[in-house]
Amino acid sequence: MAYEEVKVRKPLGLILLPFFSIFCFFGAWELIVRLGIVPATMLAAPSAVGNLFVEKLTNPNPDGATILVHAWVSMQEAFLGYLLALGIGLPLGLFMGWFGVVRGIARPIFELIRPIPPIAWIPLTVFWFGIGLWGKVFIIWLGGVVPCVINAFVGVRMTNPTLIQMARTYGASDWQIFKTLCVPSALPMVFGALQIALASCWTNLVAAELLAADQGLGYLITMGRRLALPDMVVLGMVSVGVMGALIGMVIDQVEKRLLAGIRR
Amino acid sequence: MNPAASAPVKIDVRGLTKRFGDLLVLDNISFQVARGEFLAIVGPTGCGKTTFLNCLSKLIPTSEGDIFIDGRVADPRVHNISFVFQEPTCLPWRTVRENVAYGMELKRFPAEKIRERVDTMLGLVGLSETQHLYPNQVSASMVQRITVARAFAVDPDLLLMDEPYGQLDVKLRYYLEDELVKLWQTLKATVIFVTHNIEEAVYVAERILVLSNKPTRIKAEVKVDLPRPRNLIDPAFVAIRKEVTELIRWW
Repeated sequence: MAYEEVKVRKPLGLILLPFFSIFCFFGAWELIVRLGIVPATMLAAPSAVGNLFVEKLTNPNPDGATILVHAWVSMQEAFLGYLLALGIGLPLGLFMGWFGVVRGIARPIFELIRPIPPIAWIPLTVFWFGIGLWGKVFIIWLGGVVPCVINAFVGVRMTNPTLIQMARTYGASDWQIFKTLCVPSALPMVFGALQIALASCWTNLVAAELLAADQGLGYLITMGRRLALPDMVVLGMVSVGVMGALIGMVIDQVEKRLLAGIRR
Repeated sequence: MNPAASAPVKIDVRGLTKRFGDLLVLDNISFQVARGEFLAIVGPTGCGKTTFLNCLSKLIPTSEGDIFIDGRVADPRVHNISFVFQEPTCLPWRTVRENVAYGMELKRFPAEKIRERVDTMLGLVGLSETQHLYPNQVSASMVQRITVARAFAVDPDLLLMDEPYGQLDVKLRYYLEDELVKLWQTLKATVIFVTHNIEEAVYVAERILVLSNKPTRIKAEVKVDLPRPRNLIDPAFVAIRKEVTELIRWW
């Protein structure tokens, strides 16, 4: 075909660079602990964390559950909160961007609630939901919904006005313009929101579990602190980090597929 | 200012006036365009051409007077008005083909008709091979052709063009102007073409309206009764070009 896409090959060095970077990071960390620059009581070496990880795959002691159970519980909470944040935040932000009435109703309330950090809601949440799953989901949702609304809103506001004029001359209705111009224009910002909201949800997950939980990665960290086990603290932290990065990579791939025309 | 008596009046602009506060921009402009006529509008820089077009396309309301299409007040929801803007207005998330279909989709043409019509238009502007690419994968001239094809596709009652080729280089412009004339002859649309390029106006139009400085009025009307394809160095062509230039000059 005459108009075939040009494929550019990345140099080998650039492909290997991220792996090298990670190797150096963990290597330096291991050395710092091994050489006693930081005592092992304050920071666990990657090898110690690795050993504990292998052990925690099968051993529920001393915190009451295996690492997979902790991870699964955290995943459930985070994803419920995250999906609810997307499901409510994105449409709200999109509508606020285009429809003046929605903006007039929702924006003042949103601006009032926005500055309150989700952690400040914990006491009320315990009154309302107790310490079960839904209380944590609510805290996580609060963290995720704000970036969703803001990004979707800004994305719609950035729609090229000439495109809107063009559609108007074709006699397009407000709803048609919203659907065929504003929403696609906002997509890059919306995908930005997916990443930001996920980070926010995942962060608030730990906060929510620090308060009231008997399972979950945040709880693992709390238990590590209580039992003075730095390797358990670090294992919890690393698990949170690795899972967050993995989910982020999945979202990145989805984004690339969907935004083919805009990003290319 | 009546067009050739042979064709019926399609567009009737009566006493079009536009004020922004105290500033009078368009002053009582009246003219008619015949069905299937190609009218060019030229004027000095800053004479309010864009305001004029925005009024004609009903993007902004007029202060007085109005524009009638087939005797009815123009309305984008009722009439098929197409507007080709100076800046590219392709939707980057739609393929070439989907972009050409966009105007018809907004007007809720039946799917079968859209498919047929898009095929025809893509063939006419030579985009059949690139129809599944995205706008940022094709050249600048193709991008402008997409919008021209989209504009013609809805079978417009009135096609407004605002210096559509102003940002392209000379060679491409000649090429696209020829293509535009061919499209107009094939599809028999009524076109109002705004430009500040006098040569371009003489090359494409059947009739040229020359606008004055602000407040804008119609200063003169020039008939371009030359055979096509037109020759840029034909003495008759040069004579008309000079006549229009004299009418516009403000120095």
